[in-house]
Amino acid sequence: MRKYLAVLWTDARQQTAYRGEFLLRGVMIAMFMFIFVWLWRSLYAIGGQAEISGFRLSQVIWYLAMAETVILSGSRIFEEISAAVKSGDLAYTLVRPYSYLGFEMAHSLGGSLPRVALNFVMATAVVLPFVQCVETTVPGALGFLVLAAGGLVLDAAIAVLIGLGAFFIEEVQPLHWVYSKLLMSVGGMFLPLDMFPPWLQKISNWLPFGLIIYAPARTFVAFEAGFFLRALAGQALYLLALAGVLWSVWRWGRRRLVTHGG
Amino acid sequence: MRKAATLIAGYLKHNLMSAIEYRSAFLLQVFGMALNNVIYLFFWWVLFARWPDIRGWTMPMVATVFGLVAVAFGVANGVFGNCLRIASVVVSGDLDYYLALPADPLLHVLVSRTYVSAWGDLISGLGIYLLLVPGSMARLPLFVLYAGIGALIFLGFAVAVGSLVFFVDQSQDIAAYLYNALISFSLYPIDVFPLLVRLLLYTLVPAAMIGTLPARLLFEFRWTRLAAMVGFAALILLVARVLFLRGLRRYESGNRVTVRG
Repeated sequence: MRKYLAVLWTDARQQTAYRGEFLLRGVMIAMFMFIFVWLWRSLYAIGGQAEISGFRLSQVIWYLAMAETVILSGSRIFEEISAAVKSGDLAYTLVRPYSYLGFEMAHSLGGSLPRVALNFVMATAVVLPFVQCVETTVPGALGFLVLAAGGLVLDAAIAVLIGLGAFFIEEVQPLHWVYSKLLMSVGGMFLPLDMFPPWLQKISNWLPFGLIIYAPARTFVAFEAGFFLRALAGQALYLLALAGVLWSVWRWGRRRLVTHGG
Repeated sequence: MRKAATLIAGYLKHNLMSAIEYRSAFLLQVFGMALNNVIYLFFWWVLFARWPDIRGWTMPMVATVFGLVAVAFGVANGVFGNCLRIASVVVSGDLDYYLALPADPLLHVLVSRTYVSAWGDLISGLGIYLLLVPGSMARLPLFVLYAGIGALIFLGFAVAVGSLVFFVDQSQDIAAYLYNALISFSLYPIDVFPLLVRLLLYTLVPAAMIGTLPARLLFEFRWTRLAAMVGFAALILLVARVLFLRGLRRYESGNRVTVRG
């Protein structure tokens, strides 16, 4: 475990090595939050309602800020894995004294960690002047930290799985496009699942995407102990299942690896 | 002009043929992107189910904007596939190759690559417009015309911000954020934003020129609007070309040696 923590820590430090470049990444979340703030202000103004599906305007905006914080800190490790599979560089890692899957997970999470902090600060800086209040409680903020961490681990596991897809198909990028759009839609990045039609809400609640985005963001703005525990259990179950799938795909894929010397 | 058309057509054919050579990868990228775009519309579908009219915007209007932007992006990046890579071509020293050949270097850089998934944008943009907008068939020629002008605006913007790299060190990231801003803002109804931002979206980051303005033209034609769009496209292409050529004077070769097949 210590070696994976060392990998995670090294990657986290590497992210912040070029400070200017690192800080510039916060521009994206600031831009998206600006769009969402104005869009949702219009929607609440049109309806003339103080609450929509149990959310006040300030809650929706904080919800979206937290959802964006998580999604923009997500993993793109599939790019490196798929490149390593295609080039054959993967062969070098097989002789190294660590689990390849564990290494890639740690590598990915190390990249996500500083981004979460930066995105949180940037989103807060844009949102606060508009809503002039913070829609959370101490349990809500702590619950967010726990579920966001779980969500990012789930996201990293899915990204590794997508990367391993390169054993079987030539191009894995389209898989990630679809995955990221599922996070945005049924994962609750665009709007809380509570605003979906009831039938879609039921389906979305069973899928893992909401556990990555919706669960942490909703916990931040409206903490409920029961919801928090259910989400945590859901994340643990999906992680367990994904670990099994990852291990099987990795074993199967390794057998298909062909090296050409060099 | 004829030489330029021959260069564009020749590269388009060559790029498409080499992309199709890896058939499954090509199809995966094209249809993956198309599916990606369709899922994106889900957000609007849920919103319009609750609020059928958002400051005068309806689902067919948003689908039109989405279709126009996707087709414009598809054409710009399918035919001029290096338009988002100008900065990295300059920084890596790859520009040397184009400078040594008789063709116009800017046009040559732009057309020498196709962005495969952009063809998925083009197909899905057209499909979304035809399927979700009532009376779309009758307006199809105008849709294609406006998307074409939008593609030129996108191209001009991409070349202009990419050329900043000649003047500002390490500006690749800034260029990438500006492209993203252009695309992100172009997909939202402009009327939700305050006046100052709207002004910005019609000028410096011309997202409204690619999405909102042509969509309005489709539903309510006005010569002044069309003239504004055509004039803006000509202006931004001119600015982009001047920026690139001025920048070229400051370019220093990286002495990079590569072998091209």
